Amino acid sequence: MFLVRRDRMAADLEDEMRLHVALRAESLQRAGVPEGEARVAARRRFGNRTTIQQESHDMWGMIGIEQLAQDVRFAMRGLTRRPAFTAVAVLSLAIGIGATTALFSATNALLFRPLPYAAPDELMKVTLVKPPRGDRPADDQSVWSYPKFLTFRAAQRVFSELALYGPDRFRVTSGEVESIGAESVSATYLRTLGIAPALGNDFDRELDTQFGVPGVAVLSYDYWVRRFNRDSLVIGKTIDLNRDPFVIIGVTPPGFRGLTGQADIFVPITVQPATRLTAQSHSFWLVARRAAGVATPLATAEVKRLGVVVNDAHPNDWDKAKWGAASEPLDNARVAPLVKRSVLVLFAAVALVLLITCANVANLLLGRARARQREMAIRFAMGANRTRVARLLLTEGLLLALLGGAGGVLVAWFGVRALASVNPATTLRVGQSGAVGAIAMSSISLDWVALGFAFGVALVIGAAFGLAPAIGVTHSSLADALKTGSSEAKRGAGRTLAGRRVLVIAEFALALVLLAGSGLMIRSLGKLLAVDTGFDGRDVLTVRLSVAGDTVKRESVPPLFTDVLERIAALPGVADASLNNCPPLGGACNSTNIRFLNRSEVDIANSPSVGVDWASPTWFATMHIPLKRGRIFSAADRAGTQQVVVVNEAAVRKFWPNEDPIGKHIELGMGGLKDAEVIGIVGDVRRRADSAATAGVYAPVYQSPFTDMTVFVRATVDPASLGGAVRRAIHAVAPSSVVSDMRPMRDRAADATARARFSAVLLTLFAFTALLLAAIGVYGVMSLAVATRTREIGIRIALGASGAHVQRLIVGEGAALVAIGGAVGVAGALATTRVLRALLFDLSPFDPGTYAGVVAVVAGAALVAIWIPARRASRVDPLAATRAD
Amino acid sequence: MLILSTLARSDALHGFEFAEAIQLASSDVLHLEEGSPYPALQRMLIKSWISGTWGRTAENGRARYYRLTPAGQRQFNREVADYTTVSAAIVRILRPA
Repeated sequence: MFLVRRDRMAADLEDEMRLHVALRAESLQRAGVPEGEARVAARRRFGNRTTIQQESHDMWGMIGIEQLAQDVRFAMRGLTRRPAFTAVAVLSLAIGIGATTALFSATNALLFRPLPYAAPDELMKVTLVKPPRGDRPADDQSVWSYPKFLTFRAAQRVFSELALYGPDRFRVTSGEVESIGAESVSATYLRTLGIAPALGNDFDRELDTQFGVPGVAVLSYDYWVRRFNRDSLVIGKTIDLNRDPFVIIGVTPPGFRGLTGQADIFVPITVQPATRLTAQSHSFWLVARRAAGVATPLATAEVKRLGVVVNDAHPNDWDKAKWGAASEPLDNARVAPLVKRSVLVLFAAVALVLLITCANVANLLLGRARARQREMAIRFAMGANRTRVARLLLTEGLLLALLGGAGGVLVAWFGVRALASVNPATTLRVGQSGAVGAIAMSSISLDWVALGFAFGVALVIGAAFGLAPAIGVTHSSLADALKTGSSEAKRGAGRTLAGRRVLVIAEFALALVLLAGSGLMIRSLGKLLAVDTGFDGRDVLTVRLSVAGDTVKRESVPPLFTDVLERIAALPGVADASLNNCPPLGGACNSTNIRFLNRSEVDIANSPSVGVDWASPTWFATMHIPLKRGRIFSAADRAGTQQVVVVNEAAVRKFWPNEDPIGKHIELGMGGLKDAEVIGIVGDVRRRADSAATAGVYAPVYQSPFTDMTVFVRATVDPASLGGAVRRAIHAVAPSSVVSDMRPMRDRAADATARARFSAVLLTLFAFTALLLAAIGVYGVMSLAVATRTREIGIRIALGASGAHVQRLIVGEGAALVAIGGAVGVAGALATTRVLRALLFDLSPFDPGTYAGVVAVVAGAALVAIWIPARRASRVDPLAATRAD
Repeated sequence: MLILSTLARSDALHGFEFAEAIQLASSDVLHLEEGSPYPALQRMLIKSWISGTWGRTAENGRARYYRLTPAGQRQFNREVADYTTVSAAIVRILRPA
């Protein structure tokens, strides 16, 4: 546009200069100079025309910049003159753009951005495949044991590097005592991922075969900053983990917390107790890097073949099932499907909010342009440049959008920090699935791509909404604008109003969709929290107790436990203490096969599976779990006496639907319980908040010792206050035991619902933002409607209509808009909330109660937003209205 | 400033008449190249201190007639005031103490 103008200006100037020279030549001729000479003289006196064109071009250029500065100043003044409008527009844009950008960053990091490792497409996740057994289907995501890994590594030829890793927790016992997350890894873990230490060295390759040597450790960068204050001399220092010294040999680069996303420190697998390093002790995940030139299908086929080799080298000693191996690119495993779905849902929600924001800003700007149309028309009549005015409006729109964009960057920055700080291990239940998504979560940062995205959106919005009224305004004529009664003006106003009405309908529809989603999530969360977990964990403190398995003989474990429990129970503030190896709501722990000794002979390997926990006699009382029938094992049931077990109601339903289990004898595949009598039935206890209890058997820990237990302490005071006393009591009796993960039971329960809470909170935030924006939108439209129809309203009142009648009229019009929007919204919600099905607990995506509630909320908000302008309409003074323009 | 003052004195001038007027007013002291006011005229045109309308000369040639605008008048007054202040200051400095 500017270029065309320049050409014209240049042409005009050329004409002028030519005329000037011609006139000078004429005057010279009149003075007597001959024609040819006159022309030459005239040209000479004029000067260099090219230079003049050049200078003028420069002028235009400078002017352009000056004018831009002036436009911006005018635009700023225009915006600050209406602070309410500006604030609302900028705020809604900032929230919309900021939230979208933050979630875009998260989505990018979690789902799209390549994993932050060297050549990430070469990395593969290798798993063991457990064949189907009894009623359990094949499991191809099974974890490795250390010896099997060594066999695999020795036999394989397709991977250049491979490593084992597994999550762990340690208690730091030197200096400030704290509990930290960790990973137990094989020697080439960091090398496999292509990560070089930022400080110090990596693990020695030979470490994998060295048992019992002094431990070494690599710190994560964040932990190095947090605990060691970036001490560059940390290499060589010692840190005590669970009383054992570890020499620090290196620090990882920033942002890396292991593939499990929760590791502050990395230790070699070889320091694990021997019991965890046996061939059948499966606890670790395997990550491998394909060698150069090896394609994925080749690797997959080779892995499958090697699965057989590994199984042959380490067969199960008590069943003949053939295990296999499988692999997939690491990228596929990066996020658990449920997490992927949650994130995408949130992103869609945010995009919807941004859409509503744009609709709102469009509405606001159109309204303003309409109001200023008369002002504009008069300006044009006075000679103002149309293009200049249009440019001014455009600048205003862009400025608004840029301010909103800048605010959006702020919002996005905070949003991204909040998202990145979410503890993945609890919120995403990483421990259960080994999802790689955890690392991506901690690497969420404000993407430059995202920022560009945000500003791009802002600019497009600003330009569109600034230009639209500008175009409309420059085409209007003065007469039309002044004559408000003219049909042309009315039609114009009507068109704008219609456009705005459509926008409001769209806003309400979108807000309703979001609210429906959030309402469903909230109700689902409510049901989740209200579910009967089967126990009472209030006032219970839990702490993990590991008795060193290789230094304490099995026979001495029961008395050890008895002593510990007696000591703790004797503490002031303690009502009761007991043991169980598997905390409720902590997921499944162990399962094994159950064989019924009174039924026909079935091989135990093919018998059905059942969950098995080890408990001390008073555990059920401590946790307020009801005894339904029979009795619970007591101190009398110990080594040497008849083995006994207690079953839960789910087990009764599954295995003894039509008979009485009490008195029956069973054999379990674990724990040395070859012939145990069922002596009692207890109530079901949930292992997961969102699924019903599974069939379970409780074995007495005094008959079947288990060295890795959790102590449950029921307190008469705040359980968290007993921490130190409990620790001391345990160490007084069992100084070599490891005490870790001390938490009140209620915290564990909260973790179980963390993800549902997180999603519900976020979605609700967005939904209410959307509703607020929609309410503002409808308020704006109704206000405009009232303002443009002031004269008509005045006439109506003059003719006898009451204020209340006018009010009802306006409310009715507004309500019609909202009703249409609501209907569209409900239809949209019904269509889209089905994607939430997987995330909802015990709730249908079409739950009528939720929809009814949401519609009520929307109606309420809309009514408030409409009532205010309606009241204004009822107060219109008929005389003033008919006189006004 | 000179351009503005020249325009302030007359109604509407086109480029040639303008150059003549300046020569006349300055009693031939200021002999600019005749084309030199044009870039300045362009600048003032864009700034809306003068307005330019295309019209016909007496000999029926197409010429752009320049007029001072109200904004231009204000700008002129400002510039005159500034110039007066500055020149008075200079005179004071030059006057023997």
